[in-house]
Order: sequence, then C-alpha cells, then structure tokens
Amino acid sequence: MTLLATRQVTASAPRRGSRPRRWGRGSAGWFFVAGYAVLLLAFGVFPTCYAFYLAFTNSAGQFTGFNQFTKVVRDYRFGPAFSHVLLYLVLWLVTLVVLTVLAAVLLRSRVRPGLSALLRFLYYIPGALAGVASVLVWLFMLDPDVSPVSWLLDRLGLHTFAAVLAPGNLPVIFMLIAFWTGAGGWMVVMYGALNNIPDEVIEAARMDGAGPWRTAWHIQIPMIRQWIAYMTILAFAGGTQLFVEPQLLQTASLGRVSPAWSPNQLAYVYAFQQGDFNGAAAISVFLLALGLICAGLLVARSNMFTLDET
Amino acid sequence: MRSSGSPRTTLRRRAVQAAAGVLAAAVATVLTGCASADTNSGSGKAASGHAAFTPVKQKPGSQITVWADSTRLPAVQAYQKSHPDVKMKIVTYDGGADGSTYLQTKVQLFDRTGSGWPDVVFGTPTDVTWASAPTKPGAVPFAAPLDENLVPASTLNNFAKGSLTPCQFNGHTYCLRNDIAQVVLWYNKTLMDRWGYKVPTTWPEYEALGEKVAKEHPGYLVGSVGDTNSQESYFWSSQCPAFDLVKPNTLRVALKDPNCTRMSTLLDKLISAKAVTTQGFFSQGFAKDSGSKVLMANGPSWYGQYLFKSAFHTPAKQMAAAAPLTWPGESTASTGNVGGGVWMVSSHSTNLKASTDLATWLTTSDANQAAAPTYPAYGPAATAWLANPANRDYFATDVSGPFRQAADEVWTGWSNTKFSDATAWSSVVLPALTAGKSLTATLPAWQSAISNEAKADGYQVTNQ
Amino acid sequence: MTPLAPAPRAAARRATPSRAVSALVVGVLLAVLLVFFVLPVVWLLLAPTKTADQIVHDNPLSFGSLHQVGRAWRHLYDFQDHALLVWLRNSAVYSLGSLVLTLLTSVPAGYALALTRFRGRKTLLVITLVTMIMPSATLVLPIFLELNRFHLIGTVWSVILPFSFYPFGVYLVYIYFATSLPRDLLAAARMDGCSQWQLFTRIALPLAKPVIGLVAFFSFVGNWNNFFLPYLVLPNSDQFPIQVGLNQLLTSTPSFNPVAGAGLNITIPELALAIIVAILPVLVLFLFSQRTLVSGMLAGATKE
Repeated sequence: MTLLATRQVTASAPRRGSRPRRWGRGSAGWFFVAGYAVLLLAFGVFPTCYAFYLAFTNSAGQFTGFNQFTKVVRDYRFGPAFSHVLLYLVLWLVTLVVLTVLAAVLLRSRVRPGLSALLRFLYYIPGALAGVASVLVWLFMLDPDVSPVSWLLDRLGLHTFAAVLAPGNLPVIFMLIAFWTGAGGWMVVMYGALNNIPDEVIEAARMDGAGPWRTAWHIQIPMIRQWIAYMTILAFAGGTQLFVEPQLLQTASLGRVSPAWSPNQLAYVYAFQQGDFNGAAAISVFLLALGLICAGLLVARSNMFTLDET
Repeated sequence: MRSSGSPRTTLRRRAVQAAAGVLAAAVATVLTGCASADTNSGSGKAASGHAAFTPVKQKPGSQITVWADSTRLPAVQAYQKSHPDVKMKIVTYDGGADGSTYLQTKVQLFDRTGSGWPDVVFGTPTDVTWASAPTKPGAVPFAAPLDENLVPASTLNNFAKGSLTPCQFNGHTYCLRNDIAQVVLWYNKTLMDRWGYKVPTTWPEYEALGEKVAKEHPGYLVGSVGDTNSQESYFWSSQCPAFDLVKPNTLRVALKDPNCTRMSTLLDKLISAKAVTTQGFFSQGFAKDSGSKVLMANGPSWYGQYLFKSAFHTPAKQMAAAAPLTWPGESTASTGNVGGGVWMVSSHSTNLKASTDLATWLTTSDANQAAAPTYPAYGPAATAWLANPANRDYFATDVSGPFRQAADEVWTGWSNTKFSDATAWSSVVLPALTAGKSLTATLPAWQSAISNEAKADGYQVTNQ
Repeated sequence: MTPLAPAPRAAARRATPSRAVSALVVGVLLAVLLVFFVLPVVWLLLAPTKTADQIVHDNPLSFGSLHQVGRAWRHLYDFQDHALLVWLRNSAVYSLGSLVLTLLTSVPAGYALALTRFRGRKTLLVITLVTMIMPSATLVLPIFLELNRFHLIGTVWSVILPFSFYPFGVYLVYIYFATSLPRDLLAAARMDGCSQWQLFTRIALPLAKPVIGLVAFFSFVGNWNNFFLPYLVLPNSDQFPIQVGLNQLLTSTPSFNPVAGAGLNITIPELALAIIVAILPVLVLFLFSQRTLVSGMLAGATKE
C-alpha cells in the first residue's frame, strides 16, 4: 500500500534541481524535526541497535560472539523456514512481475481508457483487505466445502481442506494471498509508469511496423525497467517478513502447518515459547540485514530517490 | 531525476563507511572471547526449589477473569448463574486444543507486563508443564500450588487414581483435572446387530472385522486417524514408546519399536481397505458427509456425548462402548487417553478464594460434572455422571463397566512433555497421510520431528 | 487513445487473424484477473446473508436474506459481551492517536528537511529513506524487545508510539515541499519579516493540505490493518485492535476449529460479517478517496 505512493511521489521528485534557500543557522530546522527525530531514534535506530546487542549476548548480558547465530542456524527449523520463504519468494516474484507488467501493458495500450480505469480500480480494491482479513477470505476460498470455485479445487484433486493445505501447496497459497492484495496496486503504478512514456516514442515504433506485442517487448517494458526492478526489490524485502499468513493458517488448519513455517514465526517461537530473546534477536538480525541490504541497494544504486543535495 | 553525481557518491561513500565501522566493531568484539549462547536458555530449568507459595495481597470480592474453551463455557456460565454474587469476566479461547500455545505465549507477556493474568484457566496437561515453572528467572510460576491451603487434601484424594499425575510437579499439585479421556472401543450397536457382527475384543479381531466391513459394506468406517489426537487413540493404546520420559530430562522416542509398527501396519491395512479414514472425525465436512457411516471408533470416552451425539447427531440407543482391545499374549489391555482438560488457578490472583472455589466447583460438583460432556476425573462426580439418565439413556448399553475398566488401564508410558504431542503428528504425519503415504513409512519422519521438538525444549533424546 | 490503435495498413492486413487471436488472449487474461480479484470480495459480501448451512449447500454466489445478516450481527455482537465493539474502538484509538502524532511530527519534519538547512540533515534523510524502504515487519520484533526492556508492554503507548513513527510520511511531505512550494512566495514572505514559525504556519501549512491528506490516508490504512505489532505487545483481549480480534474470533469459533469452538454460534456467516466490519473503514476510505488517490498517485507518473 504505502509503496504505491512512494512511486507516485518519487516520480514527481524534483527535477528542477533548484536548491532550498539557506535560512538561519539550523536551529529552526532542528526545532521542526525534533519530534520526528525522537521517534526515529526510539523506533528505528534504537531497536535495530538493541537487536544487534541482544544477538551478540546471552540472557546474562555476557558477550557471546556469533554463538547465538550458530545456535539458531543449527536449529532444525531454521533451514526449512528460510527455504519455505525462498520458494514462496520465487513464486511470488515471478508471478508478480510477469502478470503485473503484462496487465499494465494491456491496460495501457489494448483497452479503452474508461474500461481500463474501471479494471484498474477493481483490481486494486482487494488492497483494502490487506492483513488478517485477506487470509480469512482465502481460507474460505480454499475450503472445498464453501469455496465458490470448489469445482476448480476438485479438478486439481483437492477434495478436502486438509488436502489443500498439503505442505507443498503452502507457498502457492501465500503467493495467491499476496498477489490478491498487492498486485492491483502495482498494476496501477506500472500503468502510470507506462503512461509516462512519450507518445512519440510509441508512434515511432508503430511507424517502423512494430505490432503491439513487439512495441511492448522492445519499447515499453525496457522503458519501465527501473520501476520493475524497484517493485521486485520491495516485494522481495516484504516477502522475507512473512508472518501473519502462516500464523493464521497454522491456527485454522488445526496444526497442519508448522508453527515455525517462516523465519519471523521462528523468531516468535523463540521469544514467546522458549523465552529466549537473544535467539529471537539473532533471527531478526538476519531479517534486518536482508531488509537493510534491499533498502541500501535502492537508495544507493537506483535513481528512484532524489535527495536534492547542494 | 538525474541530479548531479557528486552528492550521490558522497552518500554511498558514507553508507559504506558506516557499514565498515559496524563490521570492524563486530570483529573486534569477537576476538575478545565469548560466553556461551546458552547460559540462560532454560527459562524454567532451575525452577525446582522455589520457596513456599506466597499469595499476592488479596482483595476479597474482587472480579475474577476466567479463560475457558467454548465447550466449558456453559459450565462457567452456570457457575455464574448459581453464584450471582461473584464478579466474573468470562473469556473464550482455544483451550490449548490441537497443540495451540496461545495460553503460554500470553502468560509470557503477562509475566513481562506484570499484570493481566486470568485468575482461572482451562488448559491441557501440557500447559501445566510450563505453568508450574517460572517463564523467566525471578518470575512466579503461573499456576498456584493448589495443595497449599487452597484445596483440601480430602478433595484431592478423591480424584481418580493417577488423574492428577499431570498436575504434579516438585511434590505440589498445580491443577485440578476436569475429565479423563480413557480410550474405549465405540461401536454402533444397531448396525452391528443388524449385520450380525460380533464386537471385537482383540486388535486382530478388530482388523479382521474392519476388512470384512470394507468388503461387505463399503463406505462404512471402523475408525479415523486424521484428527490431531488420533495418535493418542491408537499409538498410545498400542504402548508405543513415542513420548517416554525415562528420566525427568531424558525422552525416549523409539518408533521402530514393534509396539509402534504393529499398530501402523494394522492401520495401513485398514486405511488401504478404506475401513479407516485419513480424514479427521473433527475435520470440516466429515459430520455432514460420513457422520452416519461410523460403525466403530477406537476413541476417548468423550466421543459418546461430544462426537456421536452433538456432532454426528447419531440417534439415541445406537452407540455403545466396549472395553479396550488387547494384543495377542496380553491378559489385560492397555489403553490411551485423549486430552482430559485441567483447570489452573493463577498464583497472581487477588481473589484466590473465589478462584479456587470456581475451579473446585467446576471439577468436583455434581451440579456441574454430572451433566458434563466429558467423563469426570473426580471419583464421586464420575459416579453421578454415570448415574445421570441423560448420559445413560443416550447409549444402547450401560457404558459404566467399560469406562471404569478403561480408566484403570490407561498406559503410563506416554508421558506429559513440555511440548504437545499433537504438533509433530498433525504437521508431519497427517499431511503425509493425506498425500497417500503409508503410516509405517511415515514413522521415521514422525520420530525425527518429535526428537527435534524435544531437543529444542531441552530434553536429552534417545531413539533406542 | 483508441482501444486498438490503427496500425499502418500493410501491417494490419497481414496480421488480421493473429490480431483476432491476440485480442482474444487480451480479453481472456483481463477477465481471468477480474474474476480472481473480484470473486472473493463478492463471496465475502454475500456470505453474511446466508446461514452456515446455506453457505455449504446453496450456490456459493446466491443471496440469502437481510434478515440473516441481522441474526449474524446479533451473534457477533453477543460474542464475549460485545468484544467486537471494544476491538473496533481500540483500533480507532490506536489508528487515530498515532495518526495525530504522525501528522504532528512528520509535517514539520518534512518541511524542515525540504526547506531548511541544519547539521545532520543529510544523515536524517538517508536514515529516513532506509527505514522507509525496509519492510515495517522487520522492526517489529526488535521494537517488542525494546518495549519489553522499558516495561512498556501492554500499554496503549506500546502500540501508538511505534505506529506514529512514519518515515514514509516524512518523505512524502519532504518531496511535496521540495517540489511544489513556490519559492518566490517564501522569499517574499521572508522579506515581509515572517519568522520561521510564521512561514511554516501561514504559508507552508495551508498549501500542504493535499499531502497531509495523503499521509493521513496511508498512515491510517497501514495502522488499521496492522496485526504483527499489536499481536506481540498486547496480551489482553480488552486491548486488542480488530485485526487481532479477528484472530481471536478465528481461534475460538467452530468454523475452522470444530473442537475448540463447538457450541458457539460464531460460524461462517458471523466470521464473514466480522471481516466486513473490520475492513469497512478502510474500504470506505478506498472507495471515496479513490479518485483523488489514484489521480494523486499518478500525478507524477502522468505526462505533463
């Protein structure tokens, strides 16, 4: 959700390169940012540092080096949790990129504008159900007893809810949920990016005899490459954090889904069942590192975020 | 969008510098020698010798909060009705069913906030394993030791033999057992009579009858292994050493034992004959599709009221119970136990009097237990339960004989561990069965899942 | 922009059959996507009009009766002494409380980052960017550990304060002021002797209405739908926001937990109704601010 706006606004990021004026000696600036800076320190910087601190110590506060990390990596649930999420990510990213870009291209160049706007809106609506609601809705969609597509589930050989929840199906289920709530928003964004390509470019391609598919493949998609990369990185970073979906499915499936299916769940089990906060911190440091790397990559390598520097 | 290059490089350089700094600091500290990651680890390991229980300051007449599962909800409401002067707040939760750790995670939090504990909770025997120990150093164990001036010894002594064992740690009793769930052989007498079948008394007879039913009356079932607790009905009854605490901290998980394989091969045969289903009795849609097709079920005493009457709507005077099945060469049977909830009182309660009174009333009073959906653990209440016409009249025969016998025959080698015996079964074995694998072929995976869980909870594990 | 843009004649003639095929592919693909996105929503809206029995046996997309919606609502309302209303109220308190704090902190901060100079400004911007891009779930467990350290677990503040930290909002405001505030206006005001504070309150704020609306929307929606943090830090059912309440409803009802939930009359229609009630505020926001939002979202991406 939030990501949507990032895009939109970054797109309108300053192009004129005009510099802010220099006023006063900075005390006013500090006055204005003070409130936010406190929150940033308290809920951005400090928790990160504290998680690192916990991950390198034990409950007695003694320094443990990398022992916490070795401990959690050796945990029998660690490997499976990360490989589950990896599988999910592959599925989710491929589906997201292929379908989102394809749909955006079609909506941009093959559909009447009015219809296109309506479709974009309808695709976007499930975004309002992000979180717990979407998981609950999909529990119903996947339960052959009540699902409106039970015939389809039947065709796939899934006659009972238990069969639907077979371990091999879980990444697909989470992919469906993620796509349902998230893809519509990205389609709107991609559409906007395509809209930004000057008409002359498309027109020139057409003059050269390129059909709509070739135009899409050779002109449109390359021109929004940067947006696609951006979406992929954000979706990847978000995907590593999977928690709500497997957690709720575990409850609803009467325990057929492992309580430590995803890394975040494993960290939760460490903190809340084993009472081992240092181990939990070690796992969340892994996840933090993934998030930091993705964010750093975007900030440093892409042109998405313009900081009008002097 | 392309602003001048230099600020960007500055930024990047800065980020790199910062990262390098962090790394250097990390490496430097690593070299200074490390303590073990596990000094603490056991939140409750050193819990044994805590001092005598000292209640918090009591506020007579203060409100008590009760957490119950929805099955026990009417009982709590009945207490409220008959004791209108007690201020109560009733919250429903999952009751620890299916290996849920809801209560444990919440108590962890309450211990950290220092308030909010419910006064009386319904839970599973597994819950008592952590509730009788502190969740972190310095914390007071959640469950109050009821034998210390709260519940008179005379009351405790009246509970069925062994039924309070899961409540007892370090010589104290931390819970009152609500019900026992001894496994008996349920059968539909009407159908058995109509088809001329004899009720089996041994497992080979059960197997033979199952195969006969599959041939003569396809679609009818002699059991299910698809529930989160089916392992307790079958493998516990088979004396399979899956959760055998040989020492307080050593767990024996030996699923290659003949006691396990004899049951898995028997079930595999019946599953492939379609006489035993891998769909759970309690799975969604089972009651609707196959509820009337259950000829026999090896299951707990509460199947009668709870499964056949409430869920399957089997008409009265059809279901009957037989004593547990024996294996060849055994003179007396051993049987399993499926659940059997407990009530705990919080050691943080400011109204221990009302809380204890409620827990006692719920577990021991005839007013509540005689009409309970489950078989009471409290001896006198069990007698009243069996005498209750509502329980008597539903069944085709008198169930008190088989019930009493089974209650004495529960095998003691299936221990109450710190982790639920349902998790590995439902997350490893059941999906494999649904995918069509045989039970025997899944035993190694089940064994390693249990062993892994046990190790994570600090047990030494032996697989021999 | 015509639906099927006229291609050069030669190409069109050559490609007629394949054009029909490709039009078909386009139509089918968009229709499949439409069903995928819309069908669950339609099912959800219809579910409370039926009894649990009807949901299982009737056509999944049939309409039951409004009367049944009322029944479902009464069952839901009675669950644990109107717990649902308590959860909704909590959600409102958490989302609105943090919304106010977010606006109070992020608008001045974004303004200052865009239009003033001070030491550490660049660092602040970079950290803001990084935390903004990092998935918010990454920080939840560390924040829990921190709150636990300072004994804040279980208080209203343990949810409101972390929710109020909203780097994305700051970035939105920053970009807005950096690009859309006419600098001449500010310069003129400064000539007239306006202080920094007056510049902010008299000139910047009145112009910032659109971006304030945007920040408010994203902050509210994000916080209303948040599950992870309140799930970790709020132990008591009385304090749950609606999202965590839905989870509680799920665990203690028979629709997915036949054993634990037996005997309660919270079944599928009630659960579906609870979902609808839970997302209603966000859905309404989506519907009514759709035009502004989408146009706002695309403001930058569309051609000038």
